[in-house]
Amino acid sequence: MIWIDGVLVSRGQGGIYGERMLSDARIWDPYRSKLSALYHQKKGVELEPDMRVLYLGAAHGTTVSHVADYVEVVYAVEIAPRPMQDLLEVARRRTNVVPIMADAAQPEQYAPLVEPVDLAYQDVAQPDQVTIALRNCIFLKPGGTLILILKTRSVDTRKEPGIVFSDAVSQLTGDGGLMVRDSAWLAPYHHDHAAIICTKS
Amino acid sequence: MQSYWFGDMADGTCQPCKGDAGILADRVRARETSMDEFAPPDWQVAVACGACRDRADYLAKLREVCFLVAEHGIREKYSGRDVELLQMTRTLDELDTVINLLTGRMAEWYQTRHPAFSRKFRRFDARTLLRTMSRRSGGALGRVTGDIERLSATRTALAREVSARAEDVMPNCTALIGGLVAARLLLHAGGLEPLARLPGSAIQVLGARAALFSHLCARTPCPKHGIIFQHRRVHNAPPKVRGKVARVLAAKLAIAARLDLYRRVAVPEFIERSQARIDAAGVVP
Repeated sequence: MIWIDGVLVSRGQGGIYGERMLSDARIWDPYRSKLSALYHQKKGVELEPDMRVLYLGAAHGTTVSHVADYVEVVYAVEIAPRPMQDLLEVARRRTNVVPIMADAAQPEQYAPLVEPVDLAYQDVAQPDQVTIALRNCIFLKPGGTLILILKTRSVDTRKEPGIVFSDAVSQLTGDGGLMVRDSAWLAPYHHDHAAIICTKS
Repeated sequence: MQSYWFGDMADGTCQPCKGDAGILADRVRARETSMDEFAPPDWQVAVACGACRDRADYLAKLREVCFLVAEHGIREKYSGRDVELLQMTRTLDELDTVINLLTGRMAEWYQTRHPAFSRKFRRFDARTLLRTMSRRSGGALGRVTGDIERLSATRTALAREVSARAEDVMPNCTALIGGLVAARLLLHAGGLEPLARLPGSAIQVLGARAALFSHLCARTPCPKHGIIFQHRRVHNAPPKVRGKVARVLAAKLAIAARLDLYRRVAVPEFIERSQARIDAAGVVP
């Protein structure tokens, strides 16, 4: 990852969402992007130029644009039409972004489009986030990484975030057969959000 | 057999799909892949298949197809009858907020110019107040109050349009609670289909989110009504039976929303029976 004086940046054409620039690089704000927050916690995986990434819950393409600066290709999945309009604009300016309008909970909708990937990143506000992540592991190469941003309040507003977190970890390792390598809470950047980093055996 | 965006694979041989990106996009939309025994596509297979020249060509063609699928998807989602009604209702509610805010501010301003003027103990409606202020003031104060008057007229016209559109999109719901409240219910649910999927109990407290979550988390008393409080039969009901009226009305609305989604026309016998049932709920025993 590229850091300039403790500021996470990515190198690419700027002006995607009004981001500030730092010596010709785009500042990747941890308060806006959960993935950036994860890197600020000194966790996460290095993004390499030959990586293929599946991005679930792409929304307006803000974080997608930064990931695309680092890797070879990003498959960006989003279902809602309004954010999809913005994502298409981002994809027009980033030729390594493949915009996919489909429901991340139903991989069969977009399976014929997505090749095997090195990294799957998921940030969706759904109660069954973990199940969605597990269903998408079919696209992961053996040894590939899954970064699941767990939005604990979307799972259950009444449950303690810590309990939601440990339930998610046991579901990932139990039914999913994944190896949980690392995890982190994203406070102070994002509240009640945890990142779980898993490896597919 | 494995089906990919560029063609089909069966027994190790590949059958590329002939045609331009539009044909490929139609094919992608139509296919439903079975996820048992699914293997993700491989760009080298696509090259061997003759679907593309190299990796760059593979991604360029794939992107073209994905753009077409997404653009078609967006058009389809925006073509729903309820989509524009959502925007109209949102605009209406925001106009109300802006008009109230500005009227309050202008009254304060006006009062500093005319110290003897007070709104207290006067039966001013907002329109009379605005007219008085705009007639008796010059400069920016007069202009802004004039603008608010015009904005109010726009608001009235928009409210009429919202009612008419709600009558068209959701005739059964409109018959039970009126066009404006029906449109606000639709707004809070996020569309006609999500509204039709809600149970009556959820429709009853739609729009009372803060009270509902404080009930769930902190065990405060549960809310009896949300948006539907705006309907006269709920807010005019005696406090003792208000919750009952809200419950019965919400239950009937849940059925009405489903009729609106699937039958798309008013069902007079249902409306008649429901009205009688809701009226009966409002009678104090």
